Amino acid sequence: MLESRNLSVFYGRHRAVENVSITVSASEIVVMLGANGAGKSTFLRAIAGQTPSQGGTVLMDGAEITHHPPHEIVEAGIATVPEDRGVFAELTVHENLTLGAHPRRARPHEAANLERVLTLFPRLAERRKQLVRTMSGGERQMVAVGRAMMSAPSILLLDEPSLGLSPLLCGELFRTLRRIKDTGVGIFLVEQNAKQSLAIADRGYLLDNGHIVGSDTAEALSKDEKVQTAYLGGG
Amino acid sequence: MDIIIIGLLLGGTYALMAMGLQLQYGVARIMNLANGEILVCGAFGAIWFFTASKMSPIYALIFVVPIAFVVNWAIYQVMMLPLVKRAKNQGQLEVDSILATFGLSFIFIGILLAVFGGEFLTYSYLATPFLIFGEPYALNRIAAFLGSVALCAGLYVWLHWTRAGLTLRAIAVNPAAAGLVSINVPRASALAFALGGAVTAAGGVLLSMFLTFDASLGVIFTLKALVIVIMGGVSDVRGAILAAFILGLTETAVATLVDPGLTLAAAYVLFIAILLVRPEGLFGRRST
Repeated sequence: MLESRNLSVFYGRHRAVENVSITVSASEIVVMLGANGAGKSTFLRAIAGQTPSQGGTVLMDGAEITHHPPHEIVEAGIATVPEDRGVFAELTVHENLTLGAHPRRARPHEAANLERVLTLFPRLAERRKQLVRTMSGGERQMVAVGRAMMSAPSILLLDEPSLGLSPLLCGELFRTLRRIKDTGVGIFLVEQNAKQSLAIADRGYLLDNGHIVGSDTAEALSKDEKVQTAYLGGG
Repeated sequence: MDIIIIGLLLGGTYALMAMGLQLQYGVARIMNLANGEILVCGAFGAIWFFTASKMSPIYALIFVVPIAFVVNWAIYQVMMLPLVKRAKNQGQLEVDSILATFGLSFIFIGILLAVFGGEFLTYSYLATPFLIFGEPYALNRIAAFLGSVALCAGLYVWLHWTRAGLTLRAIAVNPAAAGLVSINVPRASALAFALGGAVTAAGGVLLSMFLTFDASLGVIFTLKALVIVIMGGVSDVRGAILAAFILGLTETAVATLVDPGLTLAAAYVLFIAILLVRPEGLFGRRST
């Protein structure tokens, strides 16, 4: 289980995220909804070790991982797909996936993980020798998620995975996330796309101006009037 | 024919020194202006081993390369790491590292002057003619070329076929994402910097087989390596190798057909032309 307790991040004096506490357990999809600039990405980056946090703690299965560098966070079982996808554009699909299996925790199971990823994304199997740079946005997102899954994570973090994808591709990606969840992985995504993400999520948090302003089951949130007006474009 | 063969032999030897700078700049993100001094140190090392004990420069590699690796690793830990940690962005690191390594180059020159004095140093090794297509070429040039090709090939295979090599290429492509696949970027950068220095020193050993060196010659090699790396693109070894051959051919052609004094000028005309027309390098890609 991934847990943040009162995590705060400051940019200089500006408070980007304050006292945010969340949990993500195995086999659940948790979504954090918030407008542009609410601090969602900052919060996710702080958990992944890419942005320093100034207060609070992050725990993975009870062990503290606050302030650990990114490569140790991955070893602790948390894989991240950043907003820019974090793929290696000048390398091939196969090389990207191999790099995903770089963590020590993932190396013994590399072959099995590769098979699992290629089952999730059959298109990647056809394009193993292709440079990622030459692929479409949707395909790149597959490489990014596939690369993250290659590190055999317990928790998968995604920063706005729907960004730049058509509703159709987005739906396809979210269905894949649900299949990943069914294998026992806990998924935490931050999103602006409330409708599609709440449809696959189990629980959700609402982030506004760096603070959590609500949390409930996904079903309740999608019926909540506040969420309706703020994120679902009115009634 | 002469020009082409001598140019190719020279270019092949340049390729190795350019790969050294490319590892330091492309992976570790340090634009090392003391690169040429490292090369001169390698050359002086070979000269010293040869004059002291008649040791073949090929054997001298066995000593020079590990020493250069350790020294460059230490330079990274002591001098570069604080700059890397302090830098808020790539541009700042570039400015800081250029200034710091420019200073470092004078420290190296001072040490070399103090130890070896200011004279031109050389030694005679394999200075026998070897016939290619009926024309004689110095055997030491051919030996240096073959040594360089072997080391370049080894490095290429290591970078492209091993997990460790793949991690270095990953950092060159996307350092932020490298952390996300559990690559210890600071440690891998130190390794790349040290390896780059070792490769450059090896280039110096090989060049010393047919060139004369003095303590202040480093800057010329820094600039040549820079021309090659900029021409070939910073992240692709193949580009650098091809660019090294282009530079070797251009220098030889200008020296033979026009005037030997203009070789460096010709290299710079090439360099400026590429900066103006294709700043991302002949084979590099514009970042998106």
